[in-house]
Amino acid sequence: MARKMLVDGGDGMEVEFDYDLFTIGAGSGGVRASRMSAGHGAKVAICELPFHPISSEKLGGCGGTCVIRGCVPKKILVYGSSFHGEFEDSKNFGWDMPGEITFDWKRLIENKTKEITRLNGVYKRILANAGVTLFEGAGKIIDPHTVEVHLTTGEIKRFTTKHILIATGSSAVLLDIPGFDDEMRGVVAKNLEGRGVNLHPSTNIIKIEKIEGGLKVYSDRGEEIETDVVLMAVGRKPNTTGLNLNAVGVELHKDGAIKVDEYSQTNIPSIWAVGDVTNRINLTPVALMEGTCLAKTLFGGEKIKPDYENVPCAVFSIPPLSVVGLSEQEAVSQTENDILVFTSSFTPMKNTISGRQEKTVMKLIVDAKTDKVLGAAMCGPDAPEIMQGIAVALKCNATKAQLDSTVGIHPSAAEEFVTMRTATRRVTPDGQVIKV
Amino acid sequence: MAATRSAFAAPLSSPTSSLRRPPHALRLITIFPSARAPNLRASSPDSFHVFSRFIGPRASYASVDTGNGSSVSIDEEFDFDLITIGAGSGGVRASRFAANLGAKVGVIELPFSTISSDQTGGLGGTCVIRGCVPKKLLVYGSKFTHDFEESRGFGWSFESEPKHDWATLIAQKNAELRRLLGVYKNILTNAGVTIIEGRGKVVDKHTVEVNGKKYTAKHILVAVGGRAVVPDIPGRELAITSDEALDLPSQPEKIAIVGAGYIALEFAGIFNGLGSEVHVFVRGNKILRGYDEEIRDFLADQMTLRGINFHFEESPLSIEKSSDGHLSLKTNKGTLHGFSHVMFGTGRKPNTKNLGLEEAGVALDEIGAIVVDDYSKTNVDSIWAVGDVTNRVNLTPVALMEGGSFAKTVFGGQDTKPDHVNVATAIFSQPPVGSVGLTEDEAIDEYGDVDVYTTNFRPMKATLSGLPDRTFMKIVVDVKTDKVIGVHLCGDDSPEITQGLSIAVNAGVTKSQFDSTVGIHPTAAEELVTMRTPTRKIRKKDTKVPEAVVGS
Repeated sequence: MARKMLVDGGDGMEVEFDYDLFTIGAGSGGVRASRMSAGHGAKVAICELPFHPISSEKLGGCGGTCVIRGCVPKKILVYGSSFHGEFEDSKNFGWDMPGEITFDWKRLIENKTKEITRLNGVYKRILANAGVTLFEGAGKIIDPHTVEVHLTTGEIKRFTTKHILIATGSSAVLLDIPGFDDEMRGVVAKNLEGRGVNLHPSTNIIKIEKIEGGLKVYSDRGEEIETDVVLMAVGRKPNTTGLNLNAVGVELHKDGAIKVDEYSQTNIPSIWAVGDVTNRINLTPVALMEGTCLAKTLFGGEKIKPDYENVPCAVFSIPPLSVVGLSEQEAVSQTENDILVFTSSFTPMKNTISGRQEKTVMKLIVDAKTDKVLGAAMCGPDAPEIMQGIAVALKCNATKAQLDSTVGIHPSAAEEFVTMRTATRRVTPDGQVIKV
Repeated sequence: MAATRSAFAAPLSSPTSSLRRPPHALRLITIFPSARAPNLRASSPDSFHVFSRFIGPRASYASVDTGNGSSVSIDEEFDFDLITIGAGSGGVRASRFAANLGAKVGVIELPFSTISSDQTGGLGGTCVIRGCVPKKLLVYGSKFTHDFEESRGFGWSFESEPKHDWATLIAQKNAELRRLLGVYKNILTNAGVTIIEGRGKVVDKHTVEVNGKKYTAKHILVAVGGRAVVPDIPGRELAITSDEALDLPSQPEKIAIVGAGYIALEFAGIFNGLGSEVHVFVRGNKILRGYDEEIRDFLADQMTLRGINFHFEESPLSIEKSSDGHLSLKTNKGTLHGFSHVMFGTGRKPNTKNLGLEEAGVALDEIGAIVVDDYSKTNVDSIWAVGDVTNRVNLTPVALMEGGSFAKTVFGGQDTKPDHVNVATAIFSQPPVGSVGLTEDEAIDEYGDVDVYTTNFRPMKATLSGLPDRTFMKIVVDVKTDKVIGVHLCGDDSPEITQGLSIAVNAGVTKSQFDSTVGIHPTAAEELVTMRTPTRKIRKKDTKVPEAVVGS
């Protein structure tokens, strides 16, 4: 049933829309914005492609990248693969594994798929419980207030809506990717090699060939490697084809991302966009934040901008890397004062027995004048879990003195963050390193 | 003879008429830069102070012409500026910080043994030898069982069950202890601290005796820690404490653990993880007195799911050895048989017996803890105490803080009080607990109006492992200020997660700041920044009767 809504622009004419908000894409950002808008009283509809682990122009699924082919399944696979290291570590703790230990890839993938399917169902229920109408099919924008959905049933339906939200996310392709703190990147690389991964730095693949039994890869350094699988993980691109954005006049950045302002509004007043499709900070919790802010702005009576400062993130390598705030390079270039860099590199307690030759590295970047903690980084077991609390501390503008006056939890790795007493180096705004 | 820094010995006569100097006494003159010399009076503010020492009875004030034109007054002559009895967490920290501030420090410690006694201890103290470190290693060793179980849901299978060798674990643990002992020795020697092995005893307010030798000191720091206590019941000699548990010749088949605090629970987890049958006897109706109520319940549930048998409101009355060598434990509810070991984790007491403290006039409380003021000073001006022996907050990082503050106050010219408020704690049970700030009940008592946020969820790993593991988290908020006054966690990685939150709580973080922090995904910790709806809102009316109003 249509609701009476006033048209933006205030010409006084009342126009009836089918919905207050129509969202294209039921991933992290889209679901969050939709259910919260419904919570604020809006009439909301959402469309999403049918579920499949592999995304395409025709396939996706409720929950989006995060749930189906991102955060969740990757973490499951990281867990699964971490056990190997645990079995190795257990030996010096007195464990003996007589007989063969086998790993069944199929079983891991099956159980992973079971879980993401379950979560896909959960997301559908979340939407239903919030009173959001879900359409399965591909959405396309016809005009600033009309969305057309090609349903999987074969029907094509058009809906009018006060606001359109594009939250179609991104897909993997070939792109440049930005870096993390340089020092920490080195730590991650060293750890990968320590765990048996062969790194080929400064090398490009120039050719892939199918051979009997697999593939052959040729590098620009003259290497030829036979392999079962070649995995391209060089970046992701916003999903904006097929939405008809050109015809409607929605502006895009050069890389295809939808241009939005601080409130996630595109150049068309009734069209908004959140999540990876806007290529701001491509993380689920950020998409959630963008969606929440948008729902409040549109229907919650409070115009609110998402805050992109001090967003923590993690790389689930083994061991993982997690950072919050500025990297050392960023701090040097962005801060007008000298910075103090505190680093700690130590063998985690478990490794003193397991014998694993792997060190945990922690880093704090402090403004030398104000004593404010500008950034923190850690590469080692449990880094992401540890960094969350550090991120909260940065949110309340914690100073190094406050960190130092916090009593440690012992024995833990995290306590190192509150016991780094001596700066490793002092760096001036023009990059000069002063030994402390 | 104690070693000195930059010392040269010169037999000098001095106008110390008031004191008889023993014929063997040698006068040592130590000269070093004045910047760090504490508590000395110099008649001229030149760049040097002169220390003069006797190895022997204390000499009185003497004035010496150093020959370079300056005249320096020498304070009361002591062998050391500081003698520390006990080289554990607090003692070592205080000693090396004091030494770094220019003090001449001696530290006395018993010879090493994994089992503590009146005659045995070791550098590093409880934490390193029979506490934090070895227990954590055993927790690691015992956790693997859970990892093996979990791995099945992730595709792993074992042709035959993994087997554990207790002796290997203990040997590895002991090797690590010895390494750390060496590290502590180096820490002290590098700081210029003199290590004296033996049992130190206070003779008077400036004198300590060890191995029949007397040493004088301007200040005495007592940092002898505490020791496990076994209640006085028949058969107590058959029981073990955590000391022995960490060094058993073989793994217990069936163990009775008496106690409900962190020690009992950690060892319960360790032995259970390694496959022992574990029975925990709790005097009250719940474990973990003093912790948040929901944490107490949650942890007991999780431990029970892992196979630990709890016996609530059951206290041991006696222990007997049966003919087959097993132990029987008689309680107020009956007798249980067949234990290979009975362990008491019912509490620890300060090690203040037979230290000469009472004779020196140092006040102790009813359990024998040394009474100290905010600066860790006892009622005797020159005698101080830090760490477990003062029974304030018995944690290594707190002892470190107390030791550091003491050194700053006494030798750094900066009166520094250790701050015991909002000290985060952790229990390395399986699953572990992390906690900082007030419990819900404490918060209600103190603040009245409180919002409580809780979550109880199945961590991601468990969705595949199929194991019944769950995680519980609670945030307690003072409604008036929106400040987060308590955070309590139970589940994997809780101690690691809590550290960062402790920084925030100590910095006065508000719930809004929590909520505006973006989560790290996927983690368990992110739950803490995504709890939007209070589970309950407690409002104290004017009648001061708290009313629970269920949140919207």
